[in-house]
Formats: sequence, C-alpha cells, structure tokens
Amino acid sequence: MGNEVALRRGDSASPRRRVFSGRHGWTIAAFLAPAAVFVGLFIYYPMISGSQMAFRNWNLNNLTDTSWVGFKNFQAIFENPDFGTILSNSIVWVVASIVPQFLIGFAIALWLRRKFRFRGLYQALIFFPWAISGFLIGILFRWMFNSEFGVINDLLSKVGLIDQPIPWLADPSTAMVAVIVANVWYGVTFFTIMILAALQSVPDEMYEAAALDGSSKPRMLFSITIPTIRTTLALTVLLRVIWIFNFPDIIYAMTGGGPANQTQIFTTWMVTTTQRGDYGQASAIGLLVIGVLFVFAAFYLLAMREKKEVQS
Amino acid sequence: MRTTKFGIAGIALTAALALTACAGGEPDNGTVKLQMVESLTNPARTDVIRGLLDDFEAENPGITVELVSPPTDQADQKIQQMLQSGTGIDVLEVRDITVGPFSTNGWLYDMTDDLQGWSGWDDLTDNAISQTTYAEDGKTYSIPYGFYGLSLFYRTDLVEEAGFDAAPTSWDDLLEQASAIQDPEKNRFGYAFRGGSNANSNVVAIITSYAADKINVDNAFELTGGGTVFSTPEAAAAVKTYFEIFKKASPPSSVAWGYPEMVEGFSNGSTAFLLQDPEVIAAIQQSSSLTEEQWSTAPLLVGASGKAAQPVSSGGWGIAKATKHPEESLKLIKFLSEGDAPITFAKENSLVPILKSAADDEFYKVGAWESYLYMTEHPDVYIPVTQPRTVSWWTEWAQKADTEIQQVLIGKMTEAEMLASWDQYWTEKWATK
Repeated sequence: MGNEVALRRGDSASPRRRVFSGRHGWTIAAFLAPAAVFVGLFIYYPMISGSQMAFRNWNLNNLTDTSWVGFKNFQAIFENPDFGTILSNSIVWVVASIVPQFLIGFAIALWLRRKFRFRGLYQALIFFPWAISGFLIGILFRWMFNSEFGVINDLLSKVGLIDQPIPWLADPSTAMVAVIVANVWYGVTFFTIMILAALQSVPDEMYEAAALDGSSKPRMLFSITIPTIRTTLALTVLLRVIWIFNFPDIIYAMTGGGPANQTQIFTTWMVTTTQRGDYGQASAIGLLVIGVLFVFAAFYLLAMREKKEVQS
Repeated sequence: MRTTKFGIAGIALTAALALTACAGGEPDNGTVKLQMVESLTNPARTDVIRGLLDDFEAENPGITVELVSPPTDQADQKIQQMLQSGTGIDVLEVRDITVGPFSTNGWLYDMTDDLQGWSGWDDLTDNAISQTTYAEDGKTYSIPYGFYGLSLFYRTDLVEEAGFDAAPTSWDDLLEQASAIQDPEKNRFGYAFRGGSNANSNVVAIITSYAADKINVDNAFELTGGGTVFSTPEAAAAVKTYFEIFKKASPPSSVAWGYPEMVEGFSNGSTAFLLQDPEVIAAIQQSSSLTEEQWSTAPLLVGASGKAAQPVSSGGWGIAKATKHPEESLKLIKFLSEGDAPITFAKENSLVPILKSAADDEFYKVGAWESYLYMTEHPDVYIPVTQPRTVSWWTEWAQKADTEIQQVLIGKMTEAEMLASWDQYWTEKWATK
C-alpha cells in the first residue's frame, strides 16, 4: 500500500527527475558503496562462505580431506537420537521464555509510563541487565542455582518453602526451569524498552476522552493502548523469538546443555559441535536454524498482515 | 562537477577502508616481534609468563614478545583459527589434546632437527623427554612445560572426626570414608563428584586403575592383549564403585558439577574429598574457609588391582609452521625450557616440573607436594600411563562420554550400556584409523 503511494507520487513528478538516474544516481551509489562493501564483506561473504562448509567434510581436527559430502551433515543431524529432544527443548525454551518476558515487560512499561519521583533512576536500573553479557548472566545464575552454595535454595529454605535443597541444574525436570528463569530475568528489559517507547506515541487525549466516556482502566488498555502499539508489539515479539532461538549464551554457561542434553537447544548444540571441531555439521545446524526462523518469520508476518486486514 | 567529486570521494573512502584492513603491524626498527599465544589462561599465570618473557627480552635485545591470552574456554578454538589463517602466531601453547589435530593439519613447526645437540636435553626428566616426541609421527612439535597428575585432596579433620586413622588409599576406602562423612542435613558431603564437563576423566581414572594389570601403558584405553579396557570385568567393577560413591557420598547436584564447583565445594569446606591436579593447591591455599591444618593430599587411589594408573597429561610450547621467525621462536622455546624459567613456571602454576634438578628442591618435598613425591618414588604402584589424548577425535569422545555419564547419573542409561557404548566407540575408531 505504502509503496503504491510512493510510486504514484513518483509518477506524478517529471520522469527526468527520478532520483536514481544519471550522475545523481552514481553519486548516491558511491555514497552507499562503503556500507554495501562493508556489509557484503563482513556479513554476507562469511555467511555464504560458512554455509558451504555444511556440505563438506569440514573438521578442524583434520583438514586434510574437506571434500564435498552433499547432505551428509544434515542427515547426521536428523538421524541423531537426541534430535527430537533438542527440537522440543528449543520450542519450550522460546515459548516459555517469551510469554513471561512479554507480560512482565509490558507491566513494567505501563508502570514506568506514569510520572513519579525518580522515574529516570528506575528506568536506568531496569534497563541495566540488557547491558550485561549473556554468558556472564549464565555464570551468575549457575552459582545462584547451585544446590548447595546457591542463594536461591538458601532463600527458599529460609522462607520455609523447601526443607531440602533442590538440585536445580542437575535434575532434568528443573534444569530447564532454571535456565528459563535466567532468560526471563534477562529479556524482560528489552520488552520494557520497546513497549515503553511505543507507549510514548499513544496520545494522552485518547485516554482523557475515554475517561470522560467512563471507560475503565482495563477497557482503555485493550481498546486504546494495545491496538495503538500493536505493530511494535508484533515486531518486538518477532525479534525476540529470533533472538531467543539464536541465544545459546545462558544455557551454555549454566548447564552446557545438560544434564544429558535435557537443556540442549539447537544453538548450544551448534556450539558444542564446533568445540569438537566439526564445523561441517555445526554449519549445517546453523543453516537449519536460519531455515526454521525464516519459515517462522514468513508465517508470522503473513498472519499479522491478515489480522490487520481483517481488522481494517 | 560536484557530483563527480562526491563520487570520487566515495570510492576513495571505500578503498581506504579496504586498505586499512590489510595493513600489517611489523616494527621497522630492526627488532623482531614474536607473537605468543597461551591456552590455559588465568590472570596469575599470564603474569608469570609475562615475567619470563620480560627476562627473555632483557637477554635478547633484538626480540620482543607480545603475549596473547584468550579466555581458556575459547583459547584452543582461537589458536586453531589463527593457525588456519597462517598469520599472527609464532609461539604457542600446544596441549596433549591439541598436538594431534594441529600437526595433522600441518600447522606446527617440526623442531626435531633444530634441537639436535641442544644442551637442555640432559636436564630434562625421562617423562619430559618422552613427551617431546609425538607418537604418531615421531617428530618434536613442542617441549613440555610441566605435568598434571591426579592426587586426592582430603580434609584431615573430617577424616579424623569420622573415626579413620588415615586418608583413603583405595577407591573402596574412599567409598567407606566419604559415606561416613556425608551428612546432607549439615550441608556436608563426602566426595566432590564430577558429573558435568570433563566427567569422563575421573571415570577413566578409576577404570584404568582397576584394570592396571591389563592395560597398555602407552595407550591406557587398550589392553595388552588387544581390545578396549571398557570391555573388562574390572571396568564394570570400577564404575559400580564409582557410581556408588555418587549415590551414597556426593552432593546430588554434582551431576552438573564441573571444575569450578568441585574446587569451590572442597575449598569452602562442604566436601571432604576431591580428586584433582596439583594446580588446585594454590587455589585451596587461598581459601578463607580452610586452614593449612585442615587439609592435605594423598596419592591417587588404587583400584582392586592394588595399583593406580596415573594419567600423565601435559602441555608445552611449540612453534607455528607459518612463522616468519623460526630462529627467534626457537630461542624463546629453549629459554622457557632450561635454567630457571621452567622451574619458576612449574612452581607458580603448581605443576610437576620437567627438570631433574627439581627432585632436590625442598619446595616439592613438603606439604601438599609430598604425595606427588611418594608417587614418583613408587612407579610400580602408581604406574604412569598415557591416555590416547592426542587422537583427533578426543574432544568428540570427551563430549560423548560426558553425556553418557550424565545419562547414567539420571537413570536414563545403565552402567553396562555405557561401557558397551564406549567399548564399541573405541573399537570402531581404532579399526578405521
């Protein structure tokens, strides 16, 4: 729709004044060139060059034979007995992380939107976790969740919720909970930042008018706030799904994918595979991740567009 | 006209960006600059190496050495990438687990000929000399800087409180003593079990000790009559005892314990026994929870055979094949391997030293080092063995073994299935080699 408007505007002007023609076009191209070269050289070239490893026998421990092996690396991934566990872990990791992140992030953003003393300080404190490396957060949480010396079991036993320590990271049923708690803590901030920014764009007049009409707070939330910032919410969720799916740091530092692959997701699997030098198979896992995310993003954006069209 | 100027400016900027990326950093005042990369980085160790390099630079005015210290977890991968690119690395730390892959890929400089007639040979221990030769091709890619070896760290006070006269000497003793000490209510545990990263090392230590009479000392995973050590009844008995120690005498969360948790568990006073390398001595000495009188070390535990297989593991200094300064690099390697430098390095990093002269050094005769001396003096009981750590699939093996150990710990696999899987793995690897 937007493109059509732009094209019509272009058409209505003189055809000779098209911005990408003649010497003017060359100038623009020259200015764009450094960025294009940079992106091409440092993003697309390594990506494509790395992708071809997925089809080769590329093991850093023995590079004397890096012959073309077709889809053998992909076959090895799908035939791995842990593939099913890793797939379901990846889905649980994304869904169980993003829902609480979204809800808590939204709630904090609504709270921070109100004006109160030291609001700036609170904002800074809440945004702080986003500045810390995921790996470091993983290490911190690994110690916090340590059964014997960790602060979490200590607190739980002091308030009388448990009478014996929970081996969080050692028990297959709790290890995933622990890594997700760490991830939620880390990711809430991003939702808060994005939603708070979007909330600034909702005009106060709309709330005032709704208040005059006697609307309740929940009504205002669902009829004014959410519809107005819907696009930001949708994009933020999409971005976060991609990031969380791609985010091995916390799990890698906390459990290394263990115990016995119970917290292994695709990207931690990729990291452990590179550690044993098998860049071919790791690269194949990487391509698989890109493929999954591409399909997800396409469906998600399509669904969002259809929903918008239905609403409008 | 203006647009042309802008066009040229844009292209010039692109070219400048591309060119700056290619610029090198060689000093042009006649001095040679070597780049040295370490792998098992920690801040104290980096300081020690830097100190030695300063001494080297003072002795060799024409050479400067820049030390690169990547974080331990990523160091070997970083070194691999640097070696593959063929630039930026002259001298490097070569570990027993990296010498195989690095030399297979032709990344390491063969020092065999250059070291003919080197005066330092006479001062090296037999162990050190044997480690200078890479078994697969008989070439010298590195000179070791020291050895790691297992000993039992134990709490003298807790052992006494529990009514025992002395530290455990066998794995069965350990099971008995650790079970007696274990008291989860008081947050006190027997053994600092390793269930997480590198869990395989201790499992293999007990298996090879139980089967010490049957194994090939040059390849501890192999039996003298052929086949793998994992197929023996001794291996089954060993893992039975070992997993008993987990069930009866270890913290439940130790399924996930790696090096940091084990050392923390011992040094904060909550676990009574720890099987570790001597480098831990320094860490425990700094503990505020334990006094010098509360802990000591004992020799590695013997198996049902009455013997212990001490895995000899080491690291050393080598040269990258792509170096432009082999002569200067060799000078540095020699400097680090003779005289005071290797003794300083070994002492500061709690390593078993490479020089014969250390046997007379008082430092290695007292306290926590006593047990190492005792083991060295009784090689018939504490048999030094070489594990096949130099094979190119070692990291793959370690990952597989660690995962399967955790599967046994959480009840998803039986001990027998684990051993059968290991036996099959090594049998197939040796068959296809």
